[in-house]
Amino acid sequence: MTALARRAHPFTPGAITLAMMVLAVVLPAPRATIALLVGTALLGIVAGAGKGVRLGLAVAAPFWILLFVVHALLGADARIPAPWGGTYSPTGLAWALDQGSRLGAIIMASLVFAAEFDPHRFLQAAIARRWPFGLAFLVVATLDAAARFSEQARRLREAQRTRGLRVHGSLIIRARAIPALIFPLLLASITEADDHALALETRGLTMPGVRTAIDPPTDSFGDRLVRWTMLAVVVAAVIWRCTR
Amino acid sequence: MNVSPRLFALVPAAVAINLVVGRVVAELGLPVYLDTLGTMLVAVLAGLSGGLIVGTLGQLLSGMLGGYFWLAFTPIQWLIALLVTVAARRGGFATPWRSVGWGILCGLACGMLSAPISYYIFGGVTSPGTTVVGAVLRTLGLPLSGAVAIASIGTDVLDKTAAFLVVGTLLRALPQRILGRFPLAARAVGK
Repeated sequence: MTALARRAHPFTPGAITLAMMVLAVVLPAPRATIALLVGTALLGIVAGAGKGVRLGLAVAAPFWILLFVVHALLGADARIPAPWGGTYSPTGLAWALDQGSRLGAIIMASLVFAAEFDPHRFLQAAIARRWPFGLAFLVVATLDAAARFSEQARRLREAQRTRGLRVHGSLIIRARAIPALIFPLLLASITEADDHALALETRGLTMPGVRTAIDPPTDSFGDRLVRWTMLAVVVAAVIWRCTR
Repeated sequence: MNVSPRLFALVPAAVAINLVVGRVVAELGLPVYLDTLGTMLVAVLAGLSGGLIVGTLGQLLSGMLGGYFWLAFTPIQWLIALLVTVAARRGGFATPWRSVGWGILCGLACGMLSAPISYYIFGGVTSPGTTVVGAVLRTLGLPLSGAVAIASIGTDVLDKTAAFLVVGTLLRALPQRILGRFPLAARAVGK
């Protein structure tokens, strides 16, 4: 069965992500933002983006630890004895909890969205909606290039290590590895540019005019309803926050 | 949007360079990031508009992979694109020493811009490397604002100096037939 996030119109998960991020900033912390963080994770699991939820936790965890260390353990405000020994700042801990839940909700929403984002369906949807083609193309081509360069970097690293490149040891040894690992990538990006430019020009990328989407994703009533609901929720939250 | 086919080809590769090189350097565990090389490269090759597009798109995509709160640092990418274009016009990549000088200048400017963003929006907790430096300075008795400022400026100066050196070395090593296609890059290395 295809995941719900993959079946939805590509703009719908994007609208939900944007709404979650605005709510993470607008809602009062920590209760509402913790609820938002948990809600985003549950929504991700239900929509079939469990991988994004796991990644979100992995990315957010170091921030939570650092917020706790910098504000609770090293906080400059009045300190009280901590249950684990030593002292901590309750004001700093409260701030770390507020900021940690807001950042956590934003990270979770971003990574759940990224885990199920299909660049090619997005491009088709953008063409069908008459979005600026150049902009949509740049987003999709960049995601493709990132995957290509990641693979190239991995192969390069293996090849250079086979030739005796040392990537462990002192700071100087590791710094010396930089040219061998990154110069070929930088050179490739420049030398390939002309070939790619020619290919894009012959395919009429910069020609003006309306494009036809080959296989535009279906924009169902449910998708539109979800997007309008998200907009209404965000507007309501902003008005509530401004007037309370 | 009026973009030349060459820029259409350069931008995706440059954004990918920002993301991939950042990851390669992080794996080496060095105290630099080098995650703005793509922005710098396109700013030198194609000018300010190219650098601005790469910087903005790069932040959008790295936000997608690491959390959109990084978007708060997009003005840093714009500042880098601007300063690199100015450096290129003034032959800032002609010798390693010139690269070092412009790198330090760029690092100071970026650090002074990123410190208030780090302090006021994130309470000093951003990338692990900079945050650890800030935390160490806090333990030495510095106030959080001072620790964040010193950590941001210090790491940015180191990072941008290394990045300018890398870009300068690459540009000077480019064969004339490639350099000839990019007039600003030729001017940057004094050819």
